[in-house]
Amino acid sequence: MTPTESAASTAEREVPNGNLTPNCVLDRAVTAELWSGCDAARWGLTRDEFDQILFDAGTARNFGLTEISGATQVTRKQQQAFFAGMCIGELALARACARGNERAWEHFIATYRQPLTRAAIAITGSETLGRDLADQLYAELYGLNERDGERRCPLLSYRGRGSLMSWLRTTLAQRHVDHYRRTRREEPLTQFNGVDEFDPPAPPPQVETPARELSQLERAIELAVSSREAEERYLLAAYYLDGQTLLEIAHVLGVHEATVSRKLRRVADEIRKQILKNLQRGGMSRRAAQEAMGADPRDLAVNLKKLLQNSQSQAFQEQAAS
Amino acid sequence: MTAANQHGFHPDAESLSAFSEQALGERERGKVLSHLAVCGRCRHVVSLAREAADAGAAKASAPSRKAIEPIAWWKQWRLVWVPTAIVAAFIVTSISFYIRQVDQREANFKITAQSPAQGLTPAPTPSPAEQAQVEPPASPAPTPPPAHAAKPTHPAANPPSAEPSPTVAAQMPSEPGAGNQREAPPLHHAYEQLTPPESPDGITGSSYTQPAVAAWDDKQKQAGEQHQAQANPPRVRAYTARPAPAAVGGPNQPAPPAASETVSVTAAAPTVTTTDGLAQPTPSLAISSLWKTTPSMKQIHLPSGLAVVSSISAEPFVLALDKAGTLFLSEDRGDTWRRVKKQWRGHAVEVAQQSEVNAGLPYAPPVHSGPDANNSRNTNNAYPPPAVFELSNDKGQAWVSTDGRTWTAK
Repeated sequence: MTPTESAASTAEREVPNGNLTPNCVLDRAVTAELWSGCDAARWGLTRDEFDQILFDAGTARNFGLTEISGATQVTRKQQQAFFAGMCIGELALARACARGNERAWEHFIATYRQPLTRAAIAITGSETLGRDLADQLYAELYGLNERDGERRCPLLSYRGRGSLMSWLRTTLAQRHVDHYRRTRREEPLTQFNGVDEFDPPAPPPQVETPARELSQLERAIELAVSSREAEERYLLAAYYLDGQTLLEIAHVLGVHEATVSRKLRRVADEIRKQILKNLQRGGMSRRAAQEAMGADPRDLAVNLKKLLQNSQSQAFQEQAAS
Repeated sequence: MTAANQHGFHPDAESLSAFSEQALGERERGKVLSHLAVCGRCRHVVSLAREAADAGAAKASAPSRKAIEPIAWWKQWRLVWVPTAIVAAFIVTSISFYIRQVDQREANFKITAQSPAQGLTPAPTPSPAEQAQVEPPASPAPTPPPAHAAKPTHPAANPPSAEPSPTVAAQMPSEPGAGNQREAPPLHHAYEQLTPPESPDGITGSSYTQPAVAAWDDKQKQAGEQHQAQANPPRVRAYTARPAPAAVGGPNQPAPPAASETVSVTAAAPTVTTTDGLAQPTPSLAISSLWKTTPSMKQIHLPSGLAVVSSISAEPFVLALDKAGTLFLSEDRGDTWRRVKKQWRGHAVEVAQQSEVNAGLPYAPPVHSGPDANNSRNTNNAYPPPAVFELSNDKGQAWVSTDGRTWTAK
């Protein structure tokens, strides 16, 4: 059985929901080129194992093709384009480490140990906590955790999208956030949720605006916010709820700081207009709607954080269901 | 929905890291962004991972700076020392040149300041033997200016006028005790200035000002040897007499009544005769002179444009003879030249100055008395005594003149 044939059989077994037909095979020239371009042989991987890794990574993401396209075969160019956007060398190293190859682990430790410790210290803000976090992750990566009598190595979840170091940092951050939330009993992170910490409970509202108008205003706000696009809602949440700076948001989105500022201003203006429109649709005159916009925010029972977080992403709901 | 039970819905670490690195496709990115908009936990994860990446990048760049090996200071300055050395050499050269100029100016100043005061009355007999004579104030020669006479003769009190020649200093009255101390400094000073081997200016003892020392040395070796035989003996005698000034005058020499007595020393006007256009000094025995040579022995440029074959300078007159035998006269130290009408026969080949003043020759006062005309030193002697110039042709015949304009056959 050739590696590609074995990969095809694996694909038939592991990707039942994909659009690829079971006879989908990897191009030999593409895999040979990728094989020569990485140190998979150095980490003790065979050619069949390497092809299997590539096939798994490709079929897990449908080779970057949309499911709507309905393609049953992946052309050579599509395979080349898909694998060109991946870190194949680091993927091979991660799989070799997951298989317990010593040379791969020596290289992994020599390359990633120190940066990972620094990243953990930066994430926790403490050298002690950072080293503990890094050591804990190392223990997990080494496969000390077992489930159903089988070693579970988190490195198996790395599929080559993005660099291995970025994946390690994100994994560290996930461990830290989860640990923090678990130990603080769901209390929000003070360093991020400053809004909650410095937002005392609103005093009993002095009813100046009629209750009917307030309820209309709340509905109008909910409609206006929930109708925004994902990126705009992310900007609102990151800036107003998390208190992140424009620079931090810009780094995450990969845009300039000024772009974030401009987008935020535009989103705020559009939400205001949308609220006015929603109020007018509810039967208010324009003047009454503008007066309602001048209501004290503390009179409103709108929780933006709850509003945003209740609109859960459908994509990951489906992912979790699957 | 809490964070704990949301965990199953969160995108995995790879998706979040790929989102941070902008490595996701448009569709996947939209999904992750939609989730981030509603999930504070994943926003925190992404934000923390981003901060860690920035911190790691900052720390990773720090050791690279420390890893730079220190470079020795001489290697750091290896490209700087070249212009530094050039600048230093230029500074040293400038300073040395400046010091040399200052020394020359000081020497010239001393000599020029010494000459007018040393003898306003050129004696008719400038022989070496007579130069050593001390004449009384009532000598036939014009008396020194009253200002000079009234001043004390102490050299420290009146340096310009009280710097006598070694001969004078040697014959000054010797007061017991203090007298030797008072007279020693000027004598010593004059001795230093008149020491022939050390200073070319001191040889002439006049106001000769020649900055070109090197050029002077060449001429000095040739012309100076002739005159040193005549000039040095009396001077040497005077120098040797310094420790015992009273003995120089001899027992027959009447001692001056007081140290403030004025003495005058006769001397011949120093002459400068050149043969190549560049005025060169002629060593003279004169220890004081009214006549000055040109202040700066600059190159003579005649109106004819020809080379100068012979020239004579007697302050402020300068006579120059060009190659064609044309005589030119300058009354302003060589600044302007005027052609002298030919009054001689043949081809003039040399112009010189006679060593004696011929009182019988016609004398015309100079047209321009020069910038020193109003000088207090010359107020008592408005026109200097005539100098006798001698012009000789190729046949050996000679003509004389006192003003350089009117020539008569000798």
